[in-house]
Amino acid sequence: MNKIFTLFKREYRAAVRTKSFIISLLLVPIMMGGGFAAVIIMENKQDTEDKNFVVVDHSGLMEEPIGASLERRNQTEILDPETGEQVNSAFKVEFVTPGTDVKAQQRELSDRVKSTELHAFMEIGPDILHPTKDSESYLRYYSEHAFGDDVRYWFRNIINDQLRVMRVSELNLEAEQTADLFHWLEVDGMGLVTVDKKTGEQQEAKKSNELQSFLVPYVITLLMFMLVMMSAVPLLTSVMEEKSEKIAEVLLGSITPFQFMMGKVLGGIGVSLTTAAIYVSAAIFTLNYMGHESLIPYDVLPWFFVYTVLFIIMVGSGMASLGATANDSKDAQSLTFPGIIPVILPLFIMVPVIQDPSGPLATTMSLIPPFTPTMMMIRLATPVTVPMWQPIVGLIGVILFTIFTVWIGARVFRTAILIQGQKPSIGNLIKYAFKN
Amino acid sequence: MNIIELSGVTKTYGSVVAVDNLSLKVPKGSIYGFIGPNGSGKTTSIRMIMKIIYPDRGKLLINGQEHDSKRLRDVGYLPEDRGLYKKMKLGELLHFHGELNQGKDLKKWIDYWLKRLDLMEYKDKKVETLSKGMKQKLQFIATILHQPKLIILDEPFSGLDPVNADLLKDVILELQKKGATIIFSTHDMSMAEKMCDYIFMIYQGKKVLDGTLTHIQDQYGNDTIQIQTEAGASALNGIAGIEKVNDFGKLQEVRVSSGADPQDILIELLKLTRITRFEIAKPSLNDIFIRIASPERKEAHHE
Repeated sequence: MNKIFTLFKREYRAAVRTKSFIISLLLVPIMMGGGFAAVIIMENKQDTEDKNFVVVDHSGLMEEPIGASLERRNQTEILDPETGEQVNSAFKVEFVTPGTDVKAQQRELSDRVKSTELHAFMEIGPDILHPTKDSESYLRYYSEHAFGDDVRYWFRNIINDQLRVMRVSELNLEAEQTADLFHWLEVDGMGLVTVDKKTGEQQEAKKSNELQSFLVPYVITLLMFMLVMMSAVPLLTSVMEEKSEKIAEVLLGSITPFQFMMGKVLGGIGVSLTTAAIYVSAAIFTLNYMGHESLIPYDVLPWFFVYTVLFIIMVGSGMASLGATANDSKDAQSLTFPGIIPVILPLFIMVPVIQDPSGPLATTMSLIPPFTPTMMMIRLATPVTVPMWQPIVGLIGVILFTIFTVWIGARVFRTAILIQGQKPSIGNLIKYAFKN
Repeated sequence: MNIIELSGVTKTYGSVVAVDNLSLKVPKGSIYGFIGPNGSGKTTSIRMIMKIIYPDRGKLLINGQEHDSKRLRDVGYLPEDRGLYKKMKLGELLHFHGELNQGKDLKKWIDYWLKRLDLMEYKDKKVETLSKGMKQKLQFIATILHQPKLIILDEPFSGLDPVNADLLKDVILELQKKGATIIFSTHDMSMAEKMCDYIFMIYQGKKVLDGTLTHIQDQYGNDTIQIQTEAGASALNGIAGIEKVNDFGKLQEVRVSSGADPQDILIELLKLTRITRFEIAKPSLNDIFIRIASPERKEAHHE
C-alpha cells in the first residue's frame, strides 16, 4: 500500500504541477461559463435598429389591422415600461400592390432583402378568410433565416386574431359574447409537493424550472465527462511512454504491476478530485452569492463523487492496461477511441435522457455498468424521483464491473508492459488477459 | 550460504526457449558476472531472479525463500534499458526511488551518493538536462540508495567513459566490501575477469560456463601462446600445431592444436625469425567467449 501511495504522490505532483493543468483548470469553466454568459448577454442586449418589411396582401384585408398593431407596438411595446427606454426594434411595414408578374415581384423583393434594405417580406394569400381545400390561403414569410426568425410569429398572431374577429363578426354576435372567445390557457409545469421531514408540514409545489430540469444534469454530466477525460484517459499515453522509455521495467524491480497500475489510477483520481473540489465549491459559492442556492443539488453530490471515483477507476484501469499494450503513439491513438466509448456515448444520448429521465432508454442505460455513472447521475440530477433501488443496484453493478476491469486490466498490464513490438490486437489482448 | 539458487529453471516465449534448464548458485557476498552474447538469455535470467517474469518450470530460491509475487526487499536492480522520469529533478527522483524501495535516511544517502558520483551540482536540475553517462550514474544511485543486500546490474558499464567506468567499479567493490552480493552482466570481458569472483556464461539459453576464472581457464588448459616476433603474423603461416592465430598487430595470440607441443612451435619459429616474446598462457575470458560463441561454433551447434 505504501508503494502505491509513493507512486500516487509522484503521479499527482507530476500532473498538478504542470502549467497545462492550471491552464485547463481555468480555461474549462471560462469556456463553459463563457458560452452561457454570451447567451445571457445576447438575450439582454436586444437589437433596437428599425426593421423594414414589405407585405404583399392578395386578400386586401390586412393592411388596416397590421397597421394598427404596428402603431401600438412602435409606440408602447418596444419601450421599457419602467425607464421608457427603447429595448426592441421598431417595425416599419410597406404594403405593395400585388404585381401581375408574381415571380418578378418576388425576385425584386428578395433582392431588397439581400441588400439589407428589407428585413423580410410577407405574402398573404387571397382566400385566407375562408380557406377551402383548393383555395389559396397561405401566409408566406420570406427572409434570409426564416426558420429562426421570430418576427413571423408576430405577423401570424395579428393576422389570425384579425381573421377570427372577422369570422365572428360575420356571425352577428355581440362584442361581450365574444370577449373571452380567444382566451388561451397555458399549462404550468409544477414539481411535486413535498413534506418537510422535521415539521411534517406540506411544502408548496414549485413551478418547474427550465434551469433546474436541464442545466443541472447537463453541467453535472459535463463535469463528470471532463474529470474522466483529464484523469483517466491520459493514463493510456502516460503508461505507453513509461513502457517505451523503459521506466516501467525500472519500476517493476520495486513494485508489482498491480501496484504500478493502481498508483497511476489513484494519481488520476487525486487530480480529478482536486479539480472537482475546486469547481464544486466555486459553483456553490457563486450560486449562493447570486441567490440561486436552490439550483445546488446537495442531495446528489455524494452520488456524484462516488460514481465519479468508480468511473475513473473503471476507465483508468482500462486505459492503463491498453497503454501497456501500446508500443508507440500511433498504437496509443488507435486504442484511445475504443477506450473512451463508455465516456463519450452517454453524451450522445444525454438530451433524450434529460427529457425523459424515467423512460425505458434512461432506465436501461443507467443500469448497464459502463454507462451507469453518467446515466444515473443525469437521472438523479433531474427533478424526477428515481426509485431508490435503482442508484443502489446501479452502484453495486458499477462496483462489480470496476473490480472486473481492474482485475482484467491488471492481467493485461503485467504481461503487456514488458512485451515490445507486439501489436495490440484483440487476439493479443485476450491472450494477455486469460493466459497465465 | 547462497543468496540465490536456481534449479532446472526454464522460460519459453512461444516456440523460443529463452532459458533452458538453468541451475545456478550465487554465494552471499560474491560478485557474480553474467556473460553471453546478445539474446542468449542473460536479461531473461535476471528478470526471473527479479520476479518481473516467472519461469515456466524449475525452482528459484532467493534468500532461501520460494518464489512468490511479492517484490524482493533489499534488492537493487539496474535494468539493461535505462528509464528515468525526464521532468523530475535529480533529488526528487532519487527520493521517489528510495521511497519505493523503502529506504531509510534517504536525504543523507542521496547527498552522499550524489557527491560520491560527482552529480551533487545537478541535484536541483531536471533529469532531461543530464548527459547519457550522468543519467547512467543517476540510475545507479537510484538502484543502490536503499542499501540493498543484493544488487543486480544489467550491463552497468555500457556507455560510460573510462573515468566513470573506473569510478563505478570502485563503488561496486566498496559495496561488496560492505557485505552486498553483486550480480552484473557485461560484455566487457576484462572487467569481468578483474572484478568477478564467479563467472557464469549463458549461450542460446543454456549454461556453458560457471565457476571461478581459474576454474574456467583450467577447463581449457594452457593451450594459448602469446608471441611477438620481428616478422609478425606472417611468420606463423604454415607452422604445424597451430589451430588458430588471433592477430593483434604487435602481438599474436596462438591457440595450440590438441596434442601439439608448444616446444615444437618454438623450434619451428626460431628457424624463421627473431623472437622477442614467447609466453605460454591460459586463454583469456575474451578468447573463451569467442570460442564458445563464434559463428563457426554456432553453425556446429545447429548441425
